[in-house]
Amino acid sequence: MTERKEIRMSEADKGFRERLMETPGAEKLMLCYQCGTCTADCPVAMRVEEFRPRQIARLAAYGQKERLLGGDTVWLCAGCYTCYERCPEQVRISEIVSALRKLAIKEGIIHPTYRALMNTLAEMGYIYEIDDFQNEMREDEDLPPAPEPDTKEVEKIMRKTGFLGLVEGG
Amino acid sequence: MRYAFFAGCTTLARLWGYEKATRKVAEQLGVELVDMPGSSCCGTTYLETLDHKTGVAVAARNICIAEEMGLDVVTVCNGCTEVLMKANKELKEDPKLRAEVNEVLADVGKEFKGTVEVKHFVRMLKDDIGLEKIRSEVEHPLKGLRVGTHYGCHMLKPSDIMVQDDPEAPTTLDELVEVTGAESVAYPNKLECCAGPIMGIREAVTWSVGLEKVETVKKYADLLITACPFCYLTYERCQLIQENSPNVPVVHYPQLLGLALGIDYDDLGFDSNKIDASILQKFAEG
Repeated sequence: MTERKEIRMSEADKGFRERLMETPGAEKLMLCYQCGTCTADCPVAMRVEEFRPRQIARLAAYGQKERLLGGDTVWLCAGCYTCYERCPEQVRISEIVSALRKLAIKEGIIHPTYRALMNTLAEMGYIYEIDDFQNEMREDEDLPPAPEPDTKEVEKIMRKTGFLGLVEGG
Repeated sequence: MRYAFFAGCTTLARLWGYEKATRKVAEQLGVELVDMPGSSCCGTTYLETLDHKTGVAVAARNICIAEEMGLDVVTVCNGCTEVLMKANKELKEDPKLRAEVNEVLADVGKEFKGTVEVKHFVRMLKDDIGLEKIRSEVEHPLKGLRVGTHYGCHMLKPSDIMVQDDPEAPTTLDELVEVTGAESVAYPNKLECCAGPIMGIREAVTWSVGLEKVETVKKYADLLITACPFCYLTYERCQLIQENSPNVPVVHYPQLLGLALGIDYDDLGFDSNKIDASILQKFAEG
């Protein structure tokens, strides 16, 4: 999100708002009356100038796709659900951010950290590698070996839904 | 009591002290934690935000393993707890989603049936074992110890999924601290997020959030208690990278309870806590 405050309708992406509102979680976008509870209580907004949950709702309502999906904005939500719990209209900005991420990956946009994490998950079945070395250390601690995930099954699920195809590689 | 034990990637790979203390405490209280063969990562809260169906399906595959075992699931990570509880609830309540997910799961020979519950270890302690029973098992009351509790967001929220406590004024973890004989102190911003989930996006923000918490806790308590590997790692790491570290011990809840139950300090995995928590030894002995 740029620091520019004004919204230009000439920059609106036709149909973006509608696509967003059809995504589960973002249905109530237009109930937002910009009270600012979300931004006021957001632990990230307190520290990151460019992350403003209220502004996300406003930009989304005006179809400002590029400003929303262009930078790190949608990847900066920590998912703490404070805005979800406290929104007086149950707009739930955290869910709008999730819906924006869902639209982003369909356009090939994903933060490198998320991409790496998803590829590790598909490859290892865990988000960290748990190998013989780890299991030896576990044994030293009197812990049983970590369950060995059926990685083929995890990968198969991630591929079957079409998700893996959107995020794999680098 | 028997449960399918879902430790989650972070605990399995990095937080052996947490896992060890959890297993020891369970054993002491007569709870059998059974490992889940073939289980994977829960799917992570991240995956669900990227693709709902895939997130639910990866979570459901793990739940199916517990269903096959005929056991409710016990978790020790808030992220896993939320992911698995949310998938479980949605699949039980939404027949259309269940049909779609079961179609995906059929390819790996699984079917979600909706026969088990998922709960965090601390919920199991409070709801299934009960505070009175735990109190009656305490051998070394941790008298005089002041504890700051950190619940972690996903133990409480979203509150329409994590229904067992008040998201704005939770009591579970505080009650579980108080049964050990320690005092759970009030401190400002107790419910603030650890910001661990954006460690990979803006690391500096996570460390700043973490440091603010531990510096606050230092004014009110002897140590900070967590019940989630992500929160734990944030509060530990943010201190380790400081030149003048506040050195506030960060302790996994089962480690604290284990001491009170009379389990040896050396058997509770404290050697894997990177900030010295030996202050606890004195309380356990005293």
